Amino acid sequence: MADFHTSTHRANWIFSPQELVEKYKAANQRAVQTLEKYGTTQMEVDADGSLSYPEPIARDNADKHSRPKPLNIEEEQFMRVFYENKLREVCSAFYFPNKIQATALIYFKRFYLQWSVMEHHPKHIMLTCVYAACKIEENHVSAEELGKGISQDHQMILNYEMIVYQSLEFDLIVYAPYRSVEGFVNDMEEFCGVKDDENQMLKDLQETARLEVDKIMLTDAPHLFPPGQLALAALRNANEMHRVLDFEGYLRRILARQNSEHTILQLIESLDAIDAWVRKFKFPTEKDMKHINRKLKSCWGHSSHDDSKKREKKRHKSHKSLNEARGQQLHGRTESKGYRNNPFSVTIVAELVHVGDISTFCMVTRPFWRRAKSYGVADHRAPIPYDGT
Amino acid sequence: MGDGNNTSGRGIAANNTPSSNSEKPEWLQQYNLLGKIGEGTYGLVFLARIKSATNRGKCIAIKKFKQSKDGDGVSPTAIREIMLLREISHENVVKLVNVHINHADMSLYLAFDYAEYDLYEIIKHHRDKVNHAMNQYTVKSLLWQLLNGLNYLHSNWIIHRDLKPSNILVMGEGEEQGVVKIADFGLARIYQAPLKPLSENGVVVTIWYRAPELLLGAKHYTSAVDMWAVGCIFAELLTLKPLFQGAEAKSTPNPFQLDQLDKIFKILGHPTLEKWPTLASLPHWQSDVQHIQSHKYENAGLHSVVHLSPKSPAFDLLSRMLEYDPRKRITAAQALEHEYFRIEPLPGRNALVPSQPGEKIVNYPTRPVDQNTDFEGTTSIQQPPQPVSSGNVAGGMGAHVGRNGSVNRPMPPPSMQRMPQGIMAYNFPSQAGVGGGINPGGMPMQRNLAAQAHQQQQLRRKDPGMGMTGYPPQQKSRRM
Repeated sequence: MADFHTSTHRANWIFSPQELVEKYKAANQRAVQTLEKYGTTQMEVDADGSLSYPEPIARDNADKHSRPKPLNIEEEQFMRVFYENKLREVCSAFYFPNKIQATALIYFKRFYLQWSVMEHHPKHIMLTCVYAACKIEENHVSAEELGKGISQDHQMILNYEMIVYQSLEFDLIVYAPYRSVEGFVNDMEEFCGVKDDENQMLKDLQETARLEVDKIMLTDAPHLFPPGQLALAALRNANEMHRVLDFEGYLRRILARQNSEHTILQLIESLDAIDAWVRKFKFPTEKDMKHINRKLKSCWGHSSHDDSKKREKKRHKSHKSLNEARGQQLHGRTESKGYRNNPFSVTIVAELVHVGDISTFCMVTRPFWRRAKSYGVADHRAPIPYDGT
Repeated sequence: MGDGNNTSGRGIAANNTPSSNSEKPEWLQQYNLLGKIGEGTYGLVFLARIKSATNRGKCIAIKKFKQSKDGDGVSPTAIREIMLLREISHENVVKLVNVHINHADMSLYLAFDYAEYDLYEIIKHHRDKVNHAMNQYTVKSLLWQLLNGLNYLHSNWIIHRDLKPSNILVMGEGEEQGVVKIADFGLARIYQAPLKPLSENGVVVTIWYRAPELLLGAKHYTSAVDMWAVGCIFAELLTLKPLFQGAEAKSTPNPFQLDQLDKIFKILGHPTLEKWPTLASLPHWQSDVQHIQSHKYENAGLHSVVHLSPKSPAFDLLSRMLEYDPRKRITAAQALEHEYFRIEPLPGRNALVPSQPGEKIVNYPTRPVDQNTDFEGTTSIQQPPQPVSSGNVAGGMGAHVGRNGSVNRPMPPPSMQRMPQGIMAYNFPSQAGVGGGINPGGMPMQRNLAAQAHQQQQLRRKDPGMGMTGYPPQQKSRRM
């Protein structure tokens, strides 16, 4: 879907900073209340994918000291970031195309706008998001294969799948800034009036910008800014390093071409704000994670005295998962096979160059490519390399 | 949540406890189920009437997707159809109004506005019952609206890939009477950058409407395949017969269909490298040289088949749609600007009722409803099938009941009339992306606030024509 402007991404998933804070607060509050009421925060997923809270635990003589303490919002943030990083590790272990990683990451981030990590274990959600992204991006991998590759029970993925779609409100087409970066770089070629040596510089610029996007994607910025702006922020930083072009001049050109009412100052303000998100980004230390995991464990009721068999079983499972989380070791990395020599990776690159760039600039105002060039929307002569030539 | 506390079907936790006095899940209780109206590889389609006061009597088509066979989670076809329909909104495209989830078997139920007719039934009715051609106004209006919807899809980089008369719906009585709706997006694809060549997704498009480049094994194809199908449909509207009625070779896994190609060549003449330079690079053109290239058909007889003067605008448009080279084939946007649509009779919004006085209005038969199939897809023999009255059916969606009108299928045990349990409503229109459908805790989620507060968005909103740039404005002279 190329039209970001009419997309659900733009309509439903870009928030103001206040709204974002509210959302995180609300999810945290709900989990805290649940903890008070039920003595645990984790929702139970039945085999049919439906959710329920566990039976309330009657705590007579509730010993205030043994009461589990909920995570605070910052700790939740750490937990998410930790698993966002894990999500990338899983995707690269499988040699999935970058698009899969980007889509899965956005799914994961959106999911936790609706829920607290105390309610659904991020490990399960992370894997389910990867699975869903594969399905949506037509790079289908069976849940079994995915589970096997990382020594995880694949049934859990299937149990969570529908909940993930629902939590994403079935808005499954997402726009990652990677494509926008490519689009802008192609456009810059023209802006710079490409010579061969400059072409190499643009390639370096693009590569650095890609890494910058990686950083941006772990912050909250993707919930706040359209992908076109995220891409421009990444490119601006990359340009600081490579000094390829007059970036402000380029921004002016874009705005002029779009006939935007948007001033250059407003655009720069957005890019600065994105930079600020990256600067204040913190990745949890091992110590942070240890602390958080200990708290989470108690939130999930694993340290409480509970003789129900179900709980017993869960305890066992979760111990395993927490150990993994702590060890930060991705199991079975070498087991994953079949994607190393993915024959499509070559095709993808070719197609991206041909088609992708134009469609996902996702800029702030109307898509200028429609006017600038006739890369024709309904002009089917351009878009896809036809019959393999 | 999930504890039987029914907060009107919201909250992610499905209410798995059947209410004591009824076996129907909560969401189903908002409908009166009228029966089955269609069946396909994906699952079944039911007709239901809304009970609630606001939309009382409004008909809804509910498409039930089967679970994916291999036990690999939610049906990809269903998910794909939902995800596309969530992004698009156009008068000539079916409207998805609700998604219901049955957690018990992970099946999805998509609720659409119901459409009483489709081109398959309309053409069939003319051919078998009316015995005369469709009037020109109706043909032109149907075609214009089909192109209008398709232009919207292509502008949004979506290829439908399975256009055929039965997927082109037409609204029955009501405010939208005679409005065309393109349906069935199970095979549709976004084509901006597929991770795999599109041909990897399996061969698509019913062979009669399949473009020659697909038949010849093209790896990457474009929105032009939809335009070929539109050309075939246009001809069928004119003659009431499928234009290229090839016999499908079912056994071959590859898309090569010699008979279908032969039918095309017979009417359009043999394609040549002059007219279609990339022809030589198509896999089957090369590998089946003897088969394909052995007999030569030179005299294009299209005009005589469709009974049009070769000089008429209608014929000109048709032949541009049936251009061999997909790069030269007319686009939906170009077709909408074609002279054919600028001459009398002008196309109109209600394709079924010509505004010219004296024109005969054809009463098309309403969709047959099989009342013996319940939501589980099981059939009971307790009631004889009855045609549903053609009352006030508005809305659009369709797929087909057994094509020969055979609505009776093999009968499983008659006692199985229970309804699936624990199905969640997921109401799109009322929420329009507000988290109501899955609001976990029932807290207010002010999604529309998002639309206000963010500076960038406000700026974007000022931009006129945003989002629909390049979309041709409807001409005043048309009755659209």
